[in-house]
Amino acid sequence: MSRIIESNGFTNETLGWDAWLDVVDLERVTPEQMAVLEESHPQAKVSDYYLFLVHQPEILRQRSIAFNAIMYAPGGMSRAERELGATVVSRLNGCVYCASVHAQRYTQLAKQDEVIEQVFDDPYTAGTTPREQAIARFSIAITERPGAITADDIRDLKEAGLNDAEVLDLLHSDAIFAWANRLMLNLGEPVFPSK
Amino acid sequence: MQTSTSHAYDPAEDLVDRLAGLSPESKTYQTRHERAKVAAATQGSYNTLFSPELPGLTLDERLLVALYASRLTPSDSLAAHYRERLVESGTEAEWIRVAESGEPDQSPTTRLAAMLEFTRKLIRNPVEGDREALLSLTQAGLSTPEVVTLSQLIAFLSYQVRLVAGLQAMKALEESV
Repeated sequence: MSRIIESNGFTNETLGWDAWLDVVDLERVTPEQMAVLEESHPQAKVSDYYLFLVHQPEILRQRSIAFNAIMYAPGGMSRAERELGATVVSRLNGCVYCASVHAQRYTQLAKQDEVIEQVFDDPYTAGTTPREQAIARFSIAITERPGAITADDIRDLKEAGLNDAEVLDLLHSDAIFAWANRLMLNLGEPVFPSK
Repeated sequence: MQTSTSHAYDPAEDLVDRLAGLSPESKTYQTRHERAKVAAATQGSYNTLFSPELPGLTLDERLLVALYASRLTPSDSLAAHYRERLVESGTEAEWIRVAESGEPDQSPTTRLAAMLEFTRKLIRNPVEGDREALLSLTQAGLSTPEVVTLSQLIAFLSYQVRLVAGLQAMKALEESV
């Protein structure tokens, strides 16, 4: 289940991440900053990413509520399919760190990884089923041409079997990774353990 | 900052619904508000990022970045919204013109030029936003918390524009059947 997949500079290996500018010193955080770190992520206090974003705690707090509600809330589209959308968007935006994290989560939830290999190889043809192909197509469309999304793009998802709640969950997952990628990709860099 | 963000979420004041043209009787509205936490945190993010009390970047700087990002995407509805807020806020017409139809290097200050140039990279092709691009902001005088605000702002706009576009398309399909 946990084979290493590497293609086009992307990997499902566990990576580290370093900020390019100064992070907040955990010894000097305000009570507000500490509260936001604790509600954002279990590892936030030892993560450069959260310690950098907590320079503006209220912005991070709202972002974390949105992110966690989109990726983890019960009901609607399966969590595995939300992770698939996230991985496709991260692959297109070139966020190697995000792609590794969400490829792993997809595999843990879906108990398979064939589609991940396809996304890393060529996202434009990825998908082992018509439903996965439709999820990949929409994730590409909303990433590359947000100014030109039409009813046809939604109809394509409906025809592949997604209901309204699932369409919304996919839209949310793809959109929140437009956000997440622009932090992970543009504020620091992945650290490769074995290279 | 607390004053604007600690207010309870009021769906009647939701900006994304307004920009996407969603009203409570539409199925797309109802689907969206099943995910109440997401709608509230989206509005909460907007309120925080455009709060006059947010320390660091001025509100005018944040609105200029938002207008420029909306124009590049492009999103007419978001560009019109941020332009309206700039006019309300009394921003000089020349500054608005740069964000609306000019280029970053025509900015009246090197600080705004650096911010718009960074915005262009992250909106058009985020992989161009490398270490050198980030350091160009600190060289133009931005503090680290200001860099965090700018990056979160551009990233949020990338999310907001896709959310609005997707909801508009869901609404269009709903109305076509």
